[in-house]
Amino acid sequence: MLFKLAFRNILRQRRRTILTTISMAGGYLLSAMSFSMIDGSYSNVIRIFTEDETGHLQIHSKDYADKPRIYKTIDTLNVLNETLHAENHIKSFTPRTFAPALAYAEDNHAPVQVIGIDNELETDTSRLREKLASGQWLTAQPDSEGYFDALIGQGAATSLEIGVGDEIVLISQGADGSVANDLFRVKGTVGTRRSQERLNVYLPLQAAQPFLSLGPNQVHEIAIVLDDISLTDNIAAALTETLGRLVPDLTVSTWPEIQKTFYQSMQADKRSNAVTLGIILFIVFVGVLNTVLMSVLERTREFGMMKALGSRSSLVLTMILLETMLLATASIILGILIAIPVILWLTHSGFSLPDPVDLGGVPFSHMKGEFSARVMLLPAAIIYGYALAVSFLPGLRAARILPVEAMQTH
Amino acid sequence: MNEPHRQPVIKTEHLCRHFGEGETLVKALDDVTLNIERGEFSALIGPSGSGKSTLLNLIGGLDNPTSGSVELAGRRIDQMSGNELSDFRRDHIGFIFQSYNLIPVLTAAENIEYIMLLQGVPHAERRRRVSDILDRVGLAGLGERLPPALSGGQQQRVAVARAMVSEPDIILADEPTANLDSKSGISLLEVMRELNRDQGMTFVFSTHDQKIMERARRLIHLEDGRIVKDEQRV
Ligand SMILES: Nc1ncnc2c1ncn2[C@@H]1O[C@H](COP(=O)(O)OP(=O)(O)O)[C@@H](O)[C@H]1O
Ligand SMILES: [Mg+2]
Repeated sequence: MLFKLAFRNILRQRRRTILTTISMAGGYLLSAMSFSMIDGSYSNVIRIFTEDETGHLQIHSKDYADKPRIYKTIDTLNVLNETLHAENHIKSFTPRTFAPALAYAEDNHAPVQVIGIDNELETDTSRLREKLASGQWLTAQPDSEGYFDALIGQGAATSLEIGVGDEIVLISQGADGSVANDLFRVKGTVGTRRSQERLNVYLPLQAAQPFLSLGPNQVHEIAIVLDDISLTDNIAAALTETLGRLVPDLTVSTWPEIQKTFYQSMQADKRSNAVTLGIILFIVFVGVLNTVLMSVLERTREFGMMKALGSRSSLVLTMILLETMLLATASIILGILIAIPVILWLTHSGFSLPDPVDLGGVPFSHMKGEFSARVMLLPAAIIYGYALAVSFLPGLRAARILPVEAMQTH
Repeated sequence: MNEPHRQPVIKTEHLCRHFGEGETLVKALDDVTLNIERGEFSALIGPSGSGKSTLLNLIGGLDNPTSGSVELAGRRIDQMSGNELSDFRRDHIGFIFQSYNLIPVLTAAENIEYIMLLQGVPHAERRRRVSDILDRVGLAGLGERLPPALSGGQQQRVAVARAMVSEPDIILADEPTANLDSKSGISLLEVMRELNRDQGMTFVFSTHDQKIMERARRLIHLEDGRIVKDEQRV
C-alpha cells in the first residue's frame, strides 16, 4: 500500500515529477560521463606510462630501488626466468642493467646512462623500439669488426655530434670496482631531444654484462607487463611469496610504488575532479530539495489527517522517502538509457582536445572514456544518497506534524 | 456489578485547554467534566468559538489538555504519546472531519481499507468489510471512484464508512455536515443515526445547524469553553 500511495503521489504533479526526473537524470548522466572520462583518461595515462618503460611490476635486489648501485644485482636470472614463465597473467618481462657512464666521441664527451637490454624481450615489454628515430634496432651479436651495437638517445647524439654508424666509447665502473671501458657502434638513435631517454645509451645485454663485469645471470631490474593491470597487487603478492622461498633478498614493486610522484598527482587530480562533480550535483539537488519541500508543504493537511487516523510518524516518513526513491529510480533508469550510448561513444571514439591537458605529467590531446560497472553504478549510488538526504528533513518535518495544527492550516 | 453499557466510554475530568498567556490567554475549554456512555448519539452544540473542536480534539487524542484528564475506553489518553497514541487512535477512535477527510490518491474503497491495512487485517476480510460498509452507507458501486469524482456528501459518507469499518469504541465528528447542503447534511446524519441504532456505534459530533442537532439523542451545550446545559432527548 505504501508503494501504491507513493507511486500515485508522484504522479499527482506530473509536470513537477517530469522536471525533477529530468534534472536528476541529467545529474546522473553528468556524473556517469565525468566518471567515464576521468577513469578513461587515467587508464589511458597509466597504460601509456606503464607500457612505455616501467611495466606493471619490477623486481630488484633488496634496496636497489631506493639506492641504486652497480653491485646490487639480481644474481639468479635463470631462476627468475623459470618462475616468471610459470606465472599466469604475465604477458612479458625483460631484464635490464643500469650504470652511469661517460661517453666519448671524437672531440666531445657527455654523461649518459648505460642501459643493458635484451634486444628481443625489451620489444615485447616496452615501447622503446617504437621510439627508434633513425638507424636500426640492436642485435645481440658483435659486427664484423667485433663491436657491439649501441642505441643512443637524441640528446646524447646531439651533444656528442654523432649519428648512425659512428663509434662511441663508454667509460664506467664495473660491479667489482674495476674500470670499464669499451668501444661500441651506434646502430640507431631513439626518442627526441626532450624525451626521457635523451641521455640513455642502450646496449645489448650480452655486451652490457661483461662491460660491467656482471655474469650472464646478473641484472639490476626485471620489468614485467601483466595481461590485466588490475591484477598488479595480486601478482605482486604472489611473486613476493614465491620468490621469497626461491631467492631471498629480492623486492617486487608495483607501478604506483615505482612511479610514486605520478601516482600521487593522479590521485590528487581524481579527488579534485570528484569534488567538482560533487558541487555540480549539489546544485542539481538543491532544485530537487525545493520540489520535495514544496510537495511536502502543500500536503500538510493530508499528512495531519493521515496521522489523526492513526498512521505512525515512521509511516509518513517512509512514504515520503519512498516517493523520492521512486523518482530517483526513474531518473537513474532514464539516465542509464541515455548514458549507455553516450559513454559507449566516449569509450570507442572519444574526442580530441584543442589544447593538450596535463594528466599526472603526461600531456593528453585525445580523451577517451571508460565503460565499467563503477562508471555506471557510482553515480546511481550518489543520486540515491543525495535523494535520501534531501528528502529526509522535509520528510521528518511532515512525519512530526501535529494533527491539530496541520488540519488547521488552510 | 454495573451493566456494561452503563460504563462510560469517555470520561473527562476538570478538562482545561488554554491558549496563549497573560493578556492573550484564551480558555478554550474551562473545567469540563463529562461522561459519554456506549451507544450514545450526542451533539456538542454552541456558537462558533465555544470550544467544540477543542473538546473533540482532546477526546480524540489530537491535542493535549492544559490540565485535567481524558479517559477513553478505560485508558488515560492524555498521558499517551508517540506510537502508543497513534496506535490507540487507529484502534479505538474513528474520525470524521469537516473537510479533507480522504487521501486523494486512493479510491473510496482504498480509503476505507486504509485503517484496516494499518491494523493488519487480512485481505479477504478487508474486502468483505469494505463492500459491506459501502452498502450500508449507500455507496454501493462507487468504491472504485477517486475522491474528486464523488460529491461532498458522498465523500463524507466514505469518511463515515472508514471511521466505522475498523469498529472503534467511538466516532468523533467535528462539524461533519458544515460543508454540505442541508439535504446531504441531513441524509449523512440519517446514515450515522442508523449505524448508531443498528450496531450500537457511539457517535459524538459537533454542529451549530439546528436541523442537524434535532437528530441527536443528547445535546451538550458549550459556551466559552464550559458546559452550560446537558439535555437528554427522546
Ligand atoms: N491553536 C489555537 N491557538 C489559539 N487559540 C485557539 C486555538 N484553537 C482554538 N483557539 C481558540 O479557542 C476557542 C475555541 O475554539 P474552537 O474549539 O475551535 O471553537 P468551536 O469549534 O466551537 O468553534 C476560540 O476562541 C479559538 O479562537
Ligand atoms: Mg470548530
